[in-house]
Amino acid sequence: MSTTLERPALATSRKGEVAKDKGTLTRSQVRTGWTLLAPALLHSGIFIVIPVIAVLALSLTDYSFGDTWSWVGFGNYTELFRDVDFLASLWHTVLYALVVIPISMAISLAVAIGLNQKIRGIGFFRTAFYIPTVTATVAVATIWLWIYNPGSGLANGFLSLFGFAPNRWLADPGTALGSLMVVGIWQGLGTKIIIYLAALQGVSRDLLESADIDGASRWQKFRNVTLPALGPVQFFVLITSIVGTFQVFDLVYVMTRGGPGSETRVLVLDIYQNAFQDLKLGYASAETVIMMIVIAVFIGVGRLLQRADTND
Amino acid sequence: MTSATLPAVVPASTKPSAVRPGRILLYVVLIIGALLMVTPFLWMVLTAFKSELEILKFSWLPGELRWSNFTEAMQSAPFLRYFRNSALIAIGETAFTLVVCTTAGYALAKLPLKGGKFMLGYFIVLLLVPFQIILVPLFMIVKSIPLFGGNNILGQGGIGWLNSWWGLIIPLGAAPFFTFLARQFFVSLPDELAQAARVDGLGEFGIFWRIMTPLIKPALITIAVFQIEAAWNGFLWPLMITTSDEMRPLQLGLAIFSQNPAEIQWPYLMAGTALATLPMIVLFVFAQKRFIEGMANVGIKG
Repeated sequence: MSTTLERPALATSRKGEVAKDKGTLTRSQVRTGWTLLAPALLHSGIFIVIPVIAVLALSLTDYSFGDTWSWVGFGNYTELFRDVDFLASLWHTVLYALVVIPISMAISLAVAIGLNQKIRGIGFFRTAFYIPTVTATVAVATIWLWIYNPGSGLANGFLSLFGFAPNRWLADPGTALGSLMVVGIWQGLGTKIIIYLAALQGVSRDLLESADIDGASRWQKFRNVTLPALGPVQFFVLITSIVGTFQVFDLVYVMTRGGPGSETRVLVLDIYQNAFQDLKLGYASAETVIMMIVIAVFIGVGRLLQRADTND
Repeated sequence: MTSATLPAVVPASTKPSAVRPGRILLYVVLIIGALLMVTPFLWMVLTAFKSELEILKFSWLPGELRWSNFTEAMQSAPFLRYFRNSALIAIGETAFTLVVCTTAGYALAKLPLKGGKFMLGYFIVLLLVPFQIILVPLFMIVKSIPLFGGNNILGQGGIGWLNSWWGLIIPLGAAPFFTFLARQFFVSLPDELAQAARVDGLGEFGIFWRIMTPLIKPALITIAVFQIEAAWNGFLWPLMITTSDEMRPLQLGLAIFSQNPAEIQWPYLMAGTALATLPMIVLFVFAQKRFIEGMANVGIKG
């Protein structure tokens, strides 16, 4: 601690030495750097990089925890495309993503714009919209399981005030997936709103003011100034939403277990059951690889859409 | 600050505080939105106070506040143990993350490493790998950690880290997301500080530990808050690797409790859910600024 107090004196007397020591200094910096980086590199290598490579290799095998296994080439993949459960899961997951992502992005952006208007009680609103996000999905699913309860749940109770007939929600094949989508949208708004709000505060005020002077309407300002400025953030929100919706599991596991029938079966649930209930690890890995490819396609299309949008 | 407030700058409309219909509509819409967000929680709490008879029909308010539901819920399932387990996992994972990710973040931000740029890219790419992708091989790796759970040196013969605190804590801690976040905060510190300390003869590790890290305390709190939330809310991983009730965390306990529709007791389930939810809501209310800054930082700079 005493060194800190003596600093000015030392600084002048040591100036020459420091310059001379530059070589050793950098070397010690490099050594410290790699030492500090090593734990994170080791951890990510073992628990992320190896698994990513392993999933590709496993997908070409019939491994199932046993002592013997063999390479099966693309056998798992051809089998998957005849597997009705897998095809249903893929379809439901894609549908879930296609509905949940645009709706939740649009609502979040609208709410963020609203909250950005020098609103009173912004703290209250921010908290209200963010609380579902900090709540565990299992807890959220449990609450909504009770809301959707056909007998005495809130959903039917509320709608009956307006004279609607009771619905069976999660038990009805026609409404089950839609009911899950509502919860998915509801829970995912918070993060997006916070990100949009921060981005909106960074939109150049000069640009908006000069647009004003030019007599631009509100819509023109939004379309030509605000929206392009949000570009990179939109892309970030889009990617995280794609990855997030494809991961949907907790919600489905607690609320429907994929039912009724397989109306709400989704990819991760199918992977989980193939891997840990049927112990078909190779098969489940192939399924994972397909999920990776679909996510990549979604991100690619998202990127194209965004480019097309900013170019016009 | 954007479109609708701007007319106030233009001299023509000099009454920014005047009540305009647009403004009222905005408040109405926002309040309805906020109610839609909060009502499910409100209903959870109201249900938690009701009796088994009351919930047979839809109603808003409980006839009387049955506080005993909470204690009875705690007895109907080992919720206290689940609580303890979740707290252990959250603390362990947070400590592990803080150590591993701040050191790595500092090295990436402040030390002249050859290939440092590449390393940063490496962590950013990993940040995009969803956990669900590596589910199956991760399970196998954790199962074959050498010399644990009856495994030999080659990682065979036993269960490795399955059904252990190690397995619950280590694999999911230290996510690349947090390394990146720590790096973002270190990068904004001026290099002169480290330089001055070097002149004082402080070693490189000392500079990291005694000079730079204390300066990013807010960032450390942000990382801790996010990690606690992630650990507390985790479900799929504990579901996969725990086999005994002894180690199950709260969310898993809650899911098991809710999976018995034949004899599901909604007031107890809602009481348990309320208790499970409360710590994170309290954490959020107190650390709101940290949550928001963290999200904004990653979203905008990332």
